[in-house]
Amino acid sequence: MPQAIPDAIRLDGVSKSFRLDDGKTVTALEGIDLGLREGEFVAVLGPSGCGKSTVLRLIAGLETASTGAVRIEGRAPSELAAAHRLGVAFQDHALLPWLSVAQNIALPYRVAGSKVDHARVDALIELVGLTGFRDARPSQLSGGMRQRASIARALVLDPDVLLLDEPFGALDAVTRRHMNVELQRIWGTRTLTTLLVTHSVDEAIFLADRIIVMTGRPGRILREVTVPFPRPRDPSVLRTPEFHALVDELTLALDPEEAAL
Amino acid sequence: MTPRARLHRYGPPLLGIFLFCLAWQLIGTYRLAGLTWPPLTAVLAYLADPAHHQLLGRAARTTFAAVTLGYLTGTGIGLALALLTRLFRPARAGIDRLVALVHATPAIALAPVFMILMSRETIPVAISALAVTYLIYVAATSGLEATKAAHADLFRTLGARPLTAFWRLELPSALPALASGLKLAVPVSFMGAIVGEWFGASRGLGLLMISAMQNFQIPLLWAAVLLTTLTSLILYGLLGLFEAAVHRRFR
Ligand SMILES: Nc1ncnc2c1ncn2[C@@H]1O[C@H](COP(=O)(O)OP(=O)(O)O)[C@@H](O)[C@H]1O
Ligand SMILES: [Mg+2]
Repeated sequence: MPQAIPDAIRLDGVSKSFRLDDGKTVTALEGIDLGLREGEFVAVLGPSGCGKSTVLRLIAGLETASTGAVRIEGRAPSELAAAHRLGVAFQDHALLPWLSVAQNIALPYRVAGSKVDHARVDALIELVGLTGFRDARPSQLSGGMRQRASIARALVLDPDVLLLDEPFGALDAVTRRHMNVELQRIWGTRTLTTLLVTHSVDEAIFLADRIIVMTGRPGRILREVTVPFPRPRDPSVLRTPEFHALVDELTLALDPEEAAL
Repeated sequence: MTPRARLHRYGPPLLGIFLFCLAWQLIGTYRLAGLTWPPLTAVLAYLADPAHHQLLGRAARTTFAAVTLGYLTGTGIGLALALLTRLFRPARAGIDRLVALVHATPAIALAPVFMILMSRETIPVAISALAVTYLIYVAATSGLEATKAAHADLFRTLGARPLTAFWRLELPSALPALASGLKLAVPVSFMGAIVGEWFGASRGLGLLMISAMQNFQIPLLWAAVLLTTLTSLILYGLLGLFEAAVHRRFR
């Protein structure tokens, strides 16, 4: 069945190398073949520096592939951005320091030249737990709060493609769990093709339909795992033996040296 | 701010000003630097004497008008050139070099050219504007390059058109550097106008300084210097407050 529907996002034979200041080149990615079906939630796991952010930036149209092709709905990624249908939460929150939380979250409306839906902005502020901080500036927020504001900003235009680069990295465990549950709830209400880069195996399994495990130098896809749990997923799924087995399997895949011990 | 923090913040500068005034007064009173160094109180008394107000007032009005015009013209041209390099990137290298060349030429050397090109009364404005232009151009161009890569990435993923990105991102990002430039341009605009008056202006504080010096009117000379310096310092301080506010908000 999946083959019948064309992938919403496709990376075909993608490699990416960067030219450094000293003239050397680094190969960040090599031979990446990856497809995301429309509405699919894919999580990317891998050690630091293995090229996760680069994959995300290629899909966002912020980098161009050195070889191979990146396509969204058969077109260049920049076209999706130009249509204001892309939401990105960056690893570094990228909030504008001169705007309040509410203004930052409303920014995509203004950039798109459309009317700000204040009710929606307020609803998202509440969703990410920043009620009471709507008029605060980013400098007055903790790292975790900034990340939550940037997630709200990524969601505000109700995008068709959502790219999240370690968006929960600065959150404490409780807030992180809460955000995971909320994200899964939003995600259940509509078709939203999502790529989540994360360090957390639990988070990947709880949220994703499919998990890509990468290795570094150069960045390649090591393996893909389909998550078997049906949706909607209750947080209680995190306590099942199947969940723990999958966590162990992926943790091992991420750290093969440990397997040798 | 606690009283203690306030003392730490404002204590040293205030003490510095006090010591400076005290030293001036003592050197003048005891003639440590000769007859041409009057005590501070003598200069202040000269400034306070209504008999001198007409002379100083007329000169100050002329000079401050030239400073204002020079400052605004220089700011306008500097901003316009910076915008031009932003809108038309290939022009950047050329304009950079031209502005640097003009800046590297001493105003004194340009003055004779100005004298045959324009009226004596416009030379102070021209020299002031020229110096301000350079400062504002450098501040604005470096400000327009201060946009954070992460923010530029964000705007690209939001599908921002160039003009939208300019108004909503590049311009606000440029404000801190620009505010610093506006502050630094204050003393520069004063210096330009004062020096400009030395090339045949018929009125102004700079002219007053020269003629007072030549006629050995020591208190008048110092009064003109003090008036210029104080005005420049006060404006510098006000723009410093503005700069601090901009930096707090936009960084
Ligand atoms: N703009 C760049 N210039 C040079 N090297 C880069 C650039 N971006 C990424 N890299 C390199 O590519 C590799 C992958 O980086 P990245 O995708 O950020 O990894 P991850 O997100 O998995 O930590 C790293 O070795 C990094 O140094
Ligand atoms: Mg990364």
